[in-house]
Amino acid sequence: MMADRKVLVVDDEIHIVHVVAIKLRNNGYEVVTADNGAQAFELACSEKPDILVTDLQMPVMTGLELVEKLRDNEVTKDIPVIMLTARNFAVSDEQQQQLRLSGCLSKPFSPKELLSTIEDILYQTELAGKS
Amino acid sequence: MDFGKSLYAIVTIFVACSLLAAGLSIVSVSGIGEGWRVAQYVQRLGPVLAVCCIFATVGVIWLGWRWSRLAGEITLTAQTLEKADSAADIKSSESKVAKGMAAAITGCVEHHKARIAELQKQVGDLQLKNQLAQKREAHVEAIIYSIRDAVIVVDEYDRLLMANEAAGRLFGFEFKNSQHKGVDEVIGSCSKDEDRTAFADFLKQARQSRGRATRKELEFLDNGKPRTFDCIVSRIRDQEGGFCGAVAVLHDITREKEISQMKNDFVSHVSHELKTPLASITAYSEMLCDGEADDEETRKKFYAVIQGQAKRLNRLIEDILNTSRIESGLIKVNKEPVSLTILIEEQLQMIRSYAEEKGISVRGQTPIVFDQVYVDRDMISQVIVNLLSNAVKYTPSGGSVGIEMEVDEIAGLARVKVSDTGVGIPEDEIGHVFDKFYRVGANKKQAKGTGLGLNLVKQIVEKVHNGRVFVTSKVGAGSTFGFELPLAARVETVQAV
Repeated sequence: MMADRKVLVVDDEIHIVHVVAIKLRNNGYEVVTADNGAQAFELACSEKPDILVTDLQMPVMTGLELVEKLRDNEVTKDIPVIMLTARNFAVSDEQQQQLRLSGCLSKPFSPKELLSTIEDILYQTELAGKS
Repeated sequence: MDFGKSLYAIVTIFVACSLLAAGLSIVSVSGIGEGWRVAQYVQRLGPVLAVCCIFATVGVIWLGWRWSRLAGEITLTAQTLEKADSAADIKSSESKVAKGMAAAITGCVEHHKARIAELQKQVGDLQLKNQLAQKREAHVEAIIYSIRDAVIVVDEYDRLLMANEAAGRLFGFEFKNSQHKGVDEVIGSCSKDEDRTAFADFLKQARQSRGRATRKELEFLDNGKPRTFDCIVSRIRDQEGGFCGAVAVLHDITREKEISQMKNDFVSHVSHELKTPLASITAYSEMLCDGEADDEETRKKFYAVIQGQAKRLNRLIEDILNTSRIESGLIKVNKEPVSLTILIEEQLQMIRSYAEEKGISVRGQTPIVFDQVYVDRDMISQVIVNLLSNAVKYTPSGGSVGIEMEVDEIAGLARVKVSDTGVGIPEDEIGHVFDKFYRVGANKKQAKGTGLGLNLVKQIVEKVHNGRVFVTSKVGAGSTFGFELPLAARVETVQAV
């Protein structure tokens, strides 16, 4: 368990945001939530989360557009991102590399799997930071 | 040699000898050649020579008479031939010459008659074949002309042999003026479009290729809009097995491509729409199984979410199935007299909580109108809820949604209008909003959807209830969607008639 880590969860489906938030809070994470890309970007700049979990297809700003915006911003450019997608092959390997996505999970997903993915990524980020 | 001919030969020799003798007698009498030894012999034969002279004279007269008679017979035969209607007329003549000639001529005539009959038969056959060939050609042309696809036929030198009206229209040429001209010249000169010129090159390459048929998808601009054609060029094989040209068929597959794209979009949308509630159900049930819901209240909340999402999933599947059932005519319709006012009230109650969640006010109808329509209650309820939920979905927070109904007694119609202060629909897209799987491009980001809701509305109103749907909209100001249904009284009257 990694305590005191902040996760930003973005999805326009309120139930998904709730369930992920509960799972993460139960495991000691601090959770910030947003229901659209624009709000998520503002929160990413102000809250500086350790990791961001976002849905791909959202109104106003899609998950990919959000990540592009994050990568262009000095403050948010290095935040690891996990993309949740309801469409198979919606994000190509090239896009994943280009946008430096840390992981992709397809819906329906297991909250346990999401938690272990977050833990793995944060652990690797920590190791990379130390080295 | 017959007797007549021998007689003529003897008489002729005799006359010749007599003439020689007469000549010699003249020599002896006149004293010419006096002193010649010959003359002395001639003088001794004087009486004999005189007799010869007499015989010679008689012979000449007889020969002359015979020849003149022969000439007469020939003339007569010629006259008979000229006037004769049949060989029998000639044969009936008593003249031997005529009979001989008649036999020869009859033989000749019979031979020629047989030949003429044979030739006439051949000519008849050829005329028949020619007529058949012309009819076949006209038939083939008629078939090619009646094909909706563009058809172009070229010979082995890439000259235009045949082209139908669709081809002329597509490439902008008149076939009558272009026959036997090079395909480059015809298509190149009539069309400035590079893609069309590319077709001429493709046609030539395909004709020269080794395969029997070559296929390619080409895109042409038609009235400024791109259209996709499936071009198949097949080489034409002649009777000797060689290739003598090619036929190109251009099938417009623009609509098929659009439908295919719409289907792909639909599958993509539907999978997303199905997976979203499924994702909630999976996640919440896993949380319950893992004991992540600490207290009873949280567990109840989780159960409620699972239940709600399962219902959502079911609604979506029903929408897909209903659209499919209505299209195939398999849906069961239970029509009964229903008040639209009551149906509207019921659906308004359902939509209010969703609207309030989004900060949108909902206006009901005032005053209440009394009406009765003969409809399937569940289907029309779905129409109303689809229109209301769409209005809420595409209206930003702070906006309003309203529903009203009016009865047009004169037209015998009940009219329902759902208006909103939402994002609106661009003018060029408004004609497509009721199309299956169609989603307004500019509004895709505004809300999720399958592109099925409005199509279902149209199918239910128009196909099942003989009503009419309509829409008016202004970008940024809002939209009004509505439908008209015949009043129950009107339906009964029409059925009675």
